Amino acid sequence: MEEKGVTRRQFIKYAGATAALLGLSQALVPEIARALEEMAASGKPPVLWIQGQNCTGCSVSFLNTNYPDAAEVVLDKLSVRYQPTVMAAAGYQAFGVIEDTAKELAGKYVLVVEGPIPTAEGGEFCTFGLEEGTKDLLGNKVPKDKPIEVWMEQLVPGAAAVIALGNCASFGGIPAANAEVTGTTAVLDVVKKIDKDKPVINVSGCPSHPDWFIGTVLYYLLNGKVPELDRYNRPTMFFGKLIHENCERRASFDAGLFLEDWNDNNPDMKLCLFKMGCKGPVTYADCPTRRWNSAVNWCVGANAPCHGCAEPAFYKDLSPLYEPLPDINFMGINNAETLGWIAAGATAAGIVGHYLYKQLGKKAPEGGEE
Amino acid sequence: MAQIVTIDPVTRIEGHLRIDVEVEDGVVKDAWSSGTMFRGIEMLLKDKHPWDAQQVTERICGVCPLVHGTASSYNLDDAMGVELPDNARLIRNLCLGANFIQSHILHFYHLAALDYVDVTAVLNYAGNNPGLKALKGKIAGLAKANDLYPFMPRYESDDYVSDPEVATTLVGHYVEALEARKKAQEMLSIFYGRMPSFVGTIPGGVTVQPTVSNIAAFRSRLAELRFWIDNVYVQDIMTVAGVPAYSIFFTAGDSGGNYLAYGGFDENSQGTEKFLPSGYILANGVSAVKTFDEQQIIESVKHSWYTEDCEGRQPSDGKTDPDLEKDGAYSFLKAPRYEGKPMEVGPMARMLVLAGLELSGKIPENKQLLVPLIKQLGLDAKVTELVTAGKFGILPRHAMRALECKLLADQMDVWLDQLKPGEPIWDPKGKDIPSDSQGMGLVEGPRGALGHWITISGKKIANYQCVVPTTWNASPRDKEGNRGPIETSLLGLPVPDPENPINVVRCVRSFDPCLACAIHVIHPEHNGVKEFRVV
Ligand code: SF4
Ligand code: SF4
Repeated sequence: MEEKGVTRRQFIKYAGATAALLGLSQALVPEIARALEEMAASGKPPVLWIQGQNCTGCSVSFLNTNYPDAAEVVLDKLSVRYQPTVMAAAGYQAFGVIEDTAKELAGKYVLVVEGPIPTAEGGEFCTFGLEEGTKDLLGNKVPKDKPIEVWMEQLVPGAAAVIALGNCASFGGIPAANAEVTGTTAVLDVVKKIDKDKPVINVSGCPSHPDWFIGTVLYYLLNGKVPELDRYNRPTMFFGKLIHENCERRASFDAGLFLEDWNDNNPDMKLCLFKMGCKGPVTYADCPTRRWNSAVNWCVGANAPCHGCAEPAFYKDLSPLYEPLPDINFMGINNAETLGWIAAGATAAGIVGHYLYKQLGKKAPEGGEE
Repeated sequence: MAQIVTIDPVTRIEGHLRIDVEVEDGVVKDAWSSGTMFRGIEMLLKDKHPWDAQQVTERICGVCPLVHGTASSYNLDDAMGVELPDNARLIRNLCLGANFIQSHILHFYHLAALDYVDVTAVLNYAGNNPGLKALKGKIAGLAKANDLYPFMPRYESDDYVSDPEVATTLVGHYVEALEARKKAQEMLSIFYGRMPSFVGTIPGGVTVQPTVSNIAAFRSRLAELRFWIDNVYVQDIMTVAGVPAYSIFFTAGDSGGNYLAYGGFDENSQGTEKFLPSGYILANGVSAVKTFDEQQIIESVKHSWYTEDCEGRQPSDGKTDPDLEKDGAYSFLKAPRYEGKPMEVGPMARMLVLAGLELSGKIPENKQLLVPLIKQLGLDAKVTELVTAGKFGILPRHAMRALECKLLADQMDVWLDQLKPGEPIWDPKGKDIPSDSQGMGLVEGPRGALGHWITISGKKIANYQCVVPTTWNASPRDKEGNRGPIETSLLGLPVPDPENPINVVRCVRSFDPCLACAIHVIHPEHNGVKEFRVV
């Protein structure tokens, strides 16, 4: 039995893990197993995973997945045709796979884009693969580089869906701070110009959590549709809750117990990181419950503030990262919109009020945002 | 007849790299290495709060954020005049070490091994190991469905390891290695919160106090990893190096004989003693290791997409002004040179510097690490042969990485013993931002020597600069026409079939290039920063 690839028992196991990942009831396991089996029988769904102005952090984070693990994803679940960090092929063989897949499986493949797209200078700030024509290399005629922008034009029309992986692919992230030079553009904005109806899912985070990515892909494959998205196109099943509402240190926040000296952090105290700049009060992600690296820890768990890496405002509009929120939000409350947290702004206002009242030893006013 | 073979993308590395080689009569005659992606990381740090630097610079690279974060912390410590508590120094060593382990394992198994092992040989596996039989079943399923992605296609070659028993064991270890490197990242997140992109080091120290329980959690994972490194990783390197067809790779792929290490892993609070020592070697003079002096670093941009005004500058006075139209330019990487010479950096440079200091007696016998390990593994004859030949190629580069991984993992156990629960982890001076100051942080990362520099004025970042390992290794030609180390290493490699230039990618990957690190520069015209530099 085990020599014949994936067994029935394994499908049940995967289904259990999938249900847990997506936060679904275990009662659905047989149904998920059936769907997974059908999926496997019709051939593994093809994935093209290209890289723009990325740092490869999201690829490395993907390798940290547990349910299913990276080997299971690659061997049993997805047909990962192009993924430059792991694939065997290089050069024309590698980009030839993209071209073949685009031709043969139009309408079927999922396009994953890690990193944003630079559009200045004819796209020359990020190229891979070769295109028609030649250029000069110290007196030799050699093939021309192909900008990722051109790849996008070629690949978006035939994609079943596009996943922007990581904060920078989703919102521009860190490279966007240099957008005047390279023309860094979020994946969604590039896709909209090519095909405004193409579904784009922003799996944010800098880097993204492997569960957020794999969970999104599995949801899409099992249900044949895009999961519910928030106004920034992030799946609400992972980005629907405020970190501050679920933080293990919320009781300290409410009691006004803040960490102010890292030597003073008796491990049992679980002091709140607000005064050290925690962005948990304006960040939507499930880090406190999901945690990172096989649930070993997470940012606040390491006595460090959340930097808000899942938010469109990251990095520029959340800086300074280690100063308490009022410094940006209290002063800048009127321009919450430009900060990219329209609703979060209101919540933050409530929190700031709450914080100041605690400091002054007063009671928060009735009916305040909280 | 000569012909140019272009490989773009070079996959299974970090970032965007293009390699062009000129092949004549089945041998590489000339080579060009080009970095093909540009972001501009340092620019956005201008006018920011100095504490942001660590979080931003660790996003330069997702494979080794640890090394940037650590360099940044030392850089800021220096600028603030911090006295680093021992606990903080040790936790930084432990976490940086954990990242070396994950990075080195990732490199050999997931980035390099597919150049040597024939995955389809698993189909002929006849052994009884249940795990390997299951693996065979899966690969057979994929082969039947004609869907062997991402393991196929690949460059074809008749020298892949294809013995079913050996190949299947190695492919099994490829899968195990996924778990091993994941475990190294879990270990790291005990003190640093999460990986990639961690939060546990700050100017002045670290954020998590050592406790009996977190030390135990770290140690149990380290013990598993040490066992795995000794019994699987180091042994697999010996297996691959023992394949007769690969014997040419002991010397083929030699980068020209110059090696540089800044030194890393502080053994005292002043950072004057390092577990991996600094030094440099010229023209393969392994037993004559010289004293490193950062003033000797000069950068050339003759063949890089930057204006002539950036030519010939020292890092402290560097400048980066992109010019995509420049004649003769073919890379976003600059060409850093030491005493005017290209230098290889990374595990091979560090291990040769260490070996040189041990062999010449500069490190006393009772403190030697590498020479005894080489003897213990029975590699001394081979090493002597290579030192005499004055050539270290592709296989030594992989082997040195594995030996370094073992030395570090063993030492991490010692550092764990030195942690003192309850003692300080942070010098509050780290929070006192001076109105004007400068700092420097030099460390060693998995891929080699890394430096960060900061200028603070008005309590804000006025200038932030990073000089990274891959710029040394993957640099283009300099103004004298000297090739970069990777370019030189490709000369003379056999390429019997230009359609399948497997030896070229074997050689390039042995350097573990990281292009995202190498190209993170900014544009002075557009952001108003006049003095800028990249390597
Ligand atoms: S401010 Fe941060 S540490 Fe404090 S309770 Fe909120 S999320 Fe947790
Ligand atoms: S806690 Fe905050 S900074 Fe940390 S991973 Fe989650 S969203 Fe990102």
